[in-house]
Amino acid sequence: MKEVDTQPLSSTPTGELLGLPSGGALGRDPFAELAEDDPFAARLEELGLDAGIAPRRQSPAPRPAHPRPASAKPAPEAGARADAPPTPRRRRWAATPQLAEVELPEVRDWLDRVLGENERRRLGALTHLVEGEAPYDRYGFSPEATRLAFPFFYALYRIYFRVRSEGHENIPDEGPAILAANHGGLLPFDGAMGVTDVVLHTDPPRLARTVVDRWAGSLPWVNVFYARVGQVVGTRENFADLLDDGQLMLVFPEGMEGMRKLVTQRYRLQPFRVGFVEQALRARAPIVPVAFIGTDDQSPILYDIKPLARRLGLPVAPLTPTFPWFGPLGLLPYPVRYRIVYGEPFHFYKRFGPEGADDSRLVRYLANQVRRTIQQLIDRSR
Amino acid sequence: MRNVLVTHADEPIGRRVVKTLFHDPEIGTILAAGDGAPPRSFDRFLAGSEPRLAYARVDFAKHRPVSELFRSSRFRAAEIDSVVHVPRHGAPAAQAAPIVAGLAERTAEARLVLQHCLETASVRNLIALGSAFVYRLPPGNANRLNEDSELDLDPDVPPEIRSWIDCDMIFHGEVHNDRLRVVLLRVPTVVAAGGYVYLNPSLAGRPGYRLRPLGFDPICALVSDKDVARAVQAAVLSRCSGIYNVAGSEAVPLSVLARWTGRASLPVPGPLLAWAATGARLMGADGFRSAIEGSQLRYGFTLDTSRAERDLGFRSSYRIGLARAGDGALRIETASA
Repeated sequence: MKEVDTQPLSSTPTGELLGLPSGGALGRDPFAELAEDDPFAARLEELGLDAGIAPRRQSPAPRPAHPRPASAKPAPEAGARADAPPTPRRRRWAATPQLAEVELPEVRDWLDRVLGENERRRLGALTHLVEGEAPYDRYGFSPEATRLAFPFFYALYRIYFRVRSEGHENIPDEGPAILAANHGGLLPFDGAMGVTDVVLHTDPPRLARTVVDRWAGSLPWVNVFYARVGQVVGTRENFADLLDDGQLMLVFPEGMEGMRKLVTQRYRLQPFRVGFVEQALRARAPIVPVAFIGTDDQSPILYDIKPLARRLGLPVAPLTPTFPWFGPLGLLPYPVRYRIVYGEPFHFYKRFGPEGADDSRLVRYLANQVRRTIQQLIDRSR
Repeated sequence: MRNVLVTHADEPIGRRVVKTLFHDPEIGTILAAGDGAPPRSFDRFLAGSEPRLAYARVDFAKHRPVSELFRSSRFRAAEIDSVVHVPRHGAPAAQAAPIVAGLAERTAEARLVLQHCLETASVRNLIALGSAFVYRLPPGNANRLNEDSELDLDPDVPPEIRSWIDCDMIFHGEVHNDRLRVVLLRVPTVVAAGGYVYLNPSLAGRPGYRLRPLGFDPICALVSDKDVARAVQAAVLSRCSGIYNVAGSEAVPLSVLARWTGRASLPVPGPLLAWAATGARLMGADGFRSAIEGSQLRYGFTLDTSRAERDLGFRSSYRIGLARAGDGALRIETASA
């Protein structure tokens, strides 16, 4: 665990401070909103922020000296006496040691034998994510459960999906960061492969905490499994807390829309939700755009029977080449090759600061910039 | 220097609070009150010609005894200016009491204690312990909740939770009182050395079987009884009023907590949960019960304690885990971090 001093956050101009109207942009066609003659984009260009498609080349991210977000400093309770002296707070970042410093865990069972020395060492490093090396963290993450589950996903990663990835140098070594990726496939194997890839290609090894839909949190067994392997239900409080803890988050801003898009829309990104940009600004966290290629081919949806889905309370009632013809087995993904590309990180917080999170128009704009970058990464890499 | 009245001082958390306050040099006289006889652990505090601790037997659910306590010469002589209300924990562990035993009394006690604190001019501070199970739990395996999170005001909420919400609302209503400083501490599952667990509706009562929905194993935020006492101590000495979450750094799944505290957690298909609990009760398997059948059995929570850290200066300092006891058995223990 790394000690980090908290200091006052600096303020930077927001869209509102630029004299631009805030709000009202939510729900519009985001691409239409990004027309070249958009005066908002022009003002951002004047300020030096790239309003184009490609992300601005950033110098390597300096280690954030004060990662504590504004949201972590709650407003005083109405009844609180104002003369109470504030207690200086030291926040610990959940961090793992460098791979070379990790003691190789002993082989305990056949599951460990499936893995190589490198993988076992990486899993051993994840135990440091839990404070005091307790069996569970406060979200239910269990390093032991992750050790038991990892060989299965490792086999999927190496043998079934034959994942290739590039751009790992764009994942920050420590501190809060957000991986924003496209979503695809009926079952969320993209999240699983993303988490596996991050564990295998970062040093110190990092665990990407995937933000999952609340619906998944209410599914028997699934909710327990997700929690034990480090995934969290996507609430603002959870997100902010984990970023405050210096964790790496993996989000799919398309949400369920990405998973249920038809085969005709494959690799066309759906509208993004913007909460991840708000959280990134508040937590001063970089956003790394990530493109998953192969996910939209694993279970091509020919048709979505929406009335049936509504009646059954499911997010999607798909017709695929194999489902429902082969029963539940038809939901399994095809053995397509995955490719994961990490783009250069956006450091929006440097220009806009935590206050920018309150400007809905700015947040929408920044989310669209991330979206366009991911789309470009997909188009380049396919 | 504060002079303090502690209610339910004969119950485990109350005893711990009294002991912690007794060793604080900034606390003067302590008037401990409870339903039963004075705990034996108080003997050494009660000894001497002019002990700092006095004990009184009071039924806090009845108006007259409470009124007599607040108007007693001993209360006036002690110049009590602070009241620590430790709520009734529920049915005593040693007794096979009905599931809702103590619930109506808990609400009545909260009302009576607050009323008398408001009416007694010398009392300037009221610190009440509440439960963190009052929060509404949306689907999810863990939810980070702060003091402003929504309460579970669903009319179908289980009676155990309802009683905690009632108590919470009673104290919440006076948080902005100018004369009486009211602090409400919401605590999650309280764990004490030796495998004892308090204020968790799912594990209340004596050790035995507990039912939980199949496929769910919610995470339970934990706090040591010693940390609860420290939080009360900080609240007594502070000048802040308001609502504060108090929790330790540990959280474990319900099944693990049940195992650690000598209870067995049996998963039952969700739709059959209520029938199974009722059937078990009808068959006389008293320990085979589920105290609640609400969202608390499905969705867990952890608490954001940053407000207590900032205003009260409270930070948990006790770790909770399994340790091997003298008889060789593994028991849940708390230890200073």
